[in-house]
Amino acid sequence: MKTIFTIVFFGIINMAIAQDEFFQPGSTIGGYGELHWNKASNADGESTKNTMDFHRFIIYYGYNWTEKWSFKSEVELEHNFVADAKGELELEQAFVNYHAGNWGFQGGVILPTAGLLNEYHEPPLFLSVERPVYSKYIIPTTWFGNGFAFYGNISDFKFRLALMEDLEGEGISSDGIRDGRGKGFETTGYNLLKNISVAYTGINGLRLGGSLSMNDAPYDNDADTSISVQLVEVNAKYTANNIYAVLEYGTSSFTGNNMDAPLKSSSGYYLDLGYDIGGMFNCNKLIPWLRVSNVSKNDDDISKQTDYLRFGLTWWPINDVAFKTDFANVTVEDNTTTEFNLGIGYKF
Amino acid sequence: MIINKLIPFYLILLGGFLSGGSPIRDATEKYIISQFDVDVSINMHTLKLDTELKALVQNRVKQRFYRDELYYWTISNNDTTIAYAIMDNVLGKSMPITFLVIVEIDGRIINSEVIKYREAYGGEVGNKNWLAQFTHFSDTSDFKLGKNIDGISGATISVNSLSKGIQKIAILFPLIKDKLN
Repeated sequence: MKTIFTIVFFGIINMAIAQDEFFQPGSTIGGYGELHWNKASNADGESTKNTMDFHRFIIYYGYNWTEKWSFKSEVELEHNFVADAKGELELEQAFVNYHAGNWGFQGGVILPTAGLLNEYHEPPLFLSVERPVYSKYIIPTTWFGNGFAFYGNISDFKFRLALMEDLEGEGISSDGIRDGRGKGFETTGYNLLKNISVAYTGINGLRLGGSLSMNDAPYDNDADTSISVQLVEVNAKYTANNIYAVLEYGTSSFTGNNMDAPLKSSSGYYLDLGYDIGGMFNCNKLIPWLRVSNVSKNDDDISKQTDYLRFGLTWWPINDVAFKTDFANVTVEDNTTTEFNLGIGYKF
Repeated sequence: MIINKLIPFYLILLGGFLSGGSPIRDATEKYIISQFDVDVSINMHTLKLDTELKALVQNRVKQRFYRDELYYWTISNNDTTIAYAIMDNVLGKSMPITFLVIVEIDGRIINSEVIKYREAYGGEVGNKNWLAQFTHFSDTSDFKLGKNIDGISGATISVNSLSKGIQKIAILFPLIKDKLN
């Protein structure tokens, strides 16, 4: 009888674990945001900019139907309000996710995997007050649109293939790819953007990644007149032993089909080096840092090629809140101007 | 009469049914046994966390417990308890991360494992090299991210959450050790 009791007792415990497996359907709310105070001066030291801007306010909402089926979304308000072509209200993510352990599928408004910041752009995750300029003009962060993605991981490698709406050929200018983003608004699917990426995280603190994005971007929705775009980028981030280091490099090529492309190529890089001295002051995380960067919106036009030498100090009193300040020399064609930024960013 | 004679058989059948079909338990017990070079026997139990104890640990780590109870296993060799394995969950971005911490009798962590990860992003916390950083940690260790525990780019939420979850177990263990079977 004791044996039977034992079997039933452990069976009941086991049934409890089997039944719930800890998952419960329900919703999740999150978000992030950032306030910026941006100042700039020309070569003569005269003020050219002095703005306070709550640049981004994002609400994340997700719902989990089952362990495998979920919905995730982000709605973004830029610059406090939307009126008279100022500010932006964007549905930046809204997709159904099927996740089956080592692989999964997403469909809806999604992000291509391009660069370190496009998918992971919450302000406490990068050093500077503003996102790196590289992540604006070389990788047009935040790059989002309608489409599907398949992902998987093998060992320490992650792979993802995203098939998304076309870029807009008429938006691609002599300044590069950024205005070619369709943002899901009345976009086309003639050629589909193909975004293939891989990342490796097998060494503690290190992430290595790269991606290739390709699309024949129709001009004014005409599939026969387009600009072929190829964006290749590689990235590396190391955060361990108090060291903070990031290197990203990317280049895009543009070729016209039945038309002339407004530029041939754009390219850029940035290198961040910082060291966490928070332990010395018992203040969680405090990183003085230096960034060296070049952003060439158009490789054939020297007036669109900019060098940045930026240094700053970022303090995370808790891991989800960051106070930031940075100063930069910005050089275009031997003309050097300065920038000074203060900011606070958060995520939850 | 024959029905009465068959009752033990039915109960064994029921017990067998109840003891099957738990992928989490199967994976956990397989993992525990694989961590020891000697033959071990393991027994699963539940532990109810009282409010005061929960508050004490939560306030130190700044993270809530996922539930009011934990599952744990006693790990024995030749009828002597040599270690414990404690299973808990932490919340990732929106789904629970089920993890296990195996601790020695003196409270030092032998190993940690993610038993089940349920989200598209952040699954790198299951990386064995990353989890190995917690080995030999105890309730008095410094779990500071970026200093003693390396971060993982692209898995920030999971790293923060799981690090605190493992720290909670390390702090909890000396406080509950005497209550364990």
